[in-house]
Amino acid sequence: MSKDLSKLMPKCWNQDSKPHLFCPGCGHGITLKQLGYAIDELKIEDKLTLGIDIGCSLLVWNFFKFDTIQTHHGRTTPTMVGYKIAKPNRIALAYMGDGGGYAIGLQSLLHAAFRNNPITVILVNNENYAMTGGQMAPTTENKVITSTSPNGKQIEFGPGFKGPELVKNIANKNAFITRTSVSQPEVLKSMIKKALINQIEDEAFSFIEVLSICPTNWKTNAAESFKRLSEMEKYYPLGEIK
Amino acid sequence: MSSKCEKCILFAGEGGQGVQKIAQALNLAASKSYQSTYLNSFGVEQRGSPSLAFIKISDKVINYPRFDHADICLIMNSRSIPVIEKYVSANTEIVFDSSTISITELTKISHKKYGVPATKLAFDKFDKRSYNILLYGVITKMTGLDEKESWNAIFDLLGNKFKTKEIVDINHEAFIFGREASLEERDFSEPQFETKKGITIIKNSERKAIIMPARCKGCLICVLKCPVKALKVGTDLGVFGTPVPDIDIEKCIACGNCKRFCPDGAIGVEKI
Repeated sequence: MSKDLSKLMPKCWNQDSKPHLFCPGCGHGITLKQLGYAIDELKIEDKLTLGIDIGCSLLVWNFFKFDTIQTHHGRTTPTMVGYKIAKPNRIALAYMGDGGGYAIGLQSLLHAAFRNNPITVILVNNENYAMTGGQMAPTTENKVITSTSPNGKQIEFGPGFKGPELVKNIANKNAFITRTSVSQPEVLKSMIKKALINQIEDEAFSFIEVLSICPTNWKTNAAESFKRLSEMEKYYPLGEIK
Repeated sequence: MSSKCEKCILFAGEGGQGVQKIAQALNLAASKSYQSTYLNSFGVEQRGSPSLAFIKISDKVINYPRFDHADICLIMNSRSIPVIEKYVSANTEIVFDSSTISITELTKISHKKYGVPATKLAFDKFDKRSYNILLYGVITKMTGLDEKESWNAIFDLLGNKFKTKEIVDINHEAFIFGREASLEERDFSEPQFETKKGITIIKNSERKAIIMPARCKGCLICVLKCPVKALKVGTDLGVFGTPVPDIDIEKCIACGNCKRFCPDGAIGVEKI
């Protein structure tokens, strides 16, 4: 790796797999960059294992230099819980989208929080099922148009799903639960660092929801994407929840 | 169609180029007079994934839609060449976009190569979105399908997108141009829309900006997030043929916002 290139991206990114497989302007790229910098700054690259879900998050399979586990859909949290039980000295990180975390995998997430398993869960919320073509998800807000709600999401499908607020109610007192956004990369990085330190030092559950953008399925350009993200931030309040 | 009773046609491009649409149209046009099948295959990513379409046209019943070797192969981007190499035999006629693909990339795989500078033509003469229609014209001519049937098929498929008469006319012109275009056989034109290679370094006495066009996908989030408007849309092309940002280093304050927000790790600035 040349000296100039190393300044463009985190050291733990796998240079050979770039340009990565995400769409132009994807919020996953911004999240993973801050995750990479957080890992670089904590110097935990050789101690960390990443579990990834099905959905757009599976495109992380060759993203980093460290080991990655591809799990079944919605089963990233229990797989990483099992991994952590078998190898307590390693750091277990679960990375998923809102479909895997809140739709199919919600019970796993709730029980991991309830048991206070010492893992870190990063959930990227872009309000739709992006890999399959932008269908309506639990996190889609009311009146938002998706490919399966052409007239806007109706009230009978429920409002946007607030995950961290739900997980907070049953989580242990040491758990760290927060919601952050790709519009604030430095805050995102500090939250990821805090969550990883929470796992290493307090041996407690930590959960970060990252509000993200999806220009391909929202059919927006850069300015419109961040405008919609700022509207999302009004419905999903940012900040440390527990 | 007369010399051989079965034709296997392979379309190769990437997500977003309209590969599947023209393949569907070809299938539809061929099914009016022949038996035909259409099978698609693509990667998991929505944008920039290799997107293949297998078309088989025959005057007998077709038992299996896949084939080992294509008779005609349309290549729309250079990234799909390694994927389709195994479907190309010595007799395969390759049609490629000579304004984005260099002939050196194809010399190994086949003898019969025809270049169409489709991207350049679409940008210069027609609408940039008539790119795939132009190539569709070329392929229907090579396959020997009827002009009227071929156009009707594309009109059936895309009719709801052809909202005004101008759009219909410009696409029809592109289609006819494709059918009548003389294909380049030996003297291929130079590719004009190529990703800029290497690293661009722009610096003055205080600051240094590093841009890597081969990683830039053209989302332009950096241009949006620049607080002093030092970044603007440039002229170099990135990995998807989209414009790469251009930096005015004198205006830049090296805040690092572009690097912070770039999802691809394609841009960064630092103080020297």
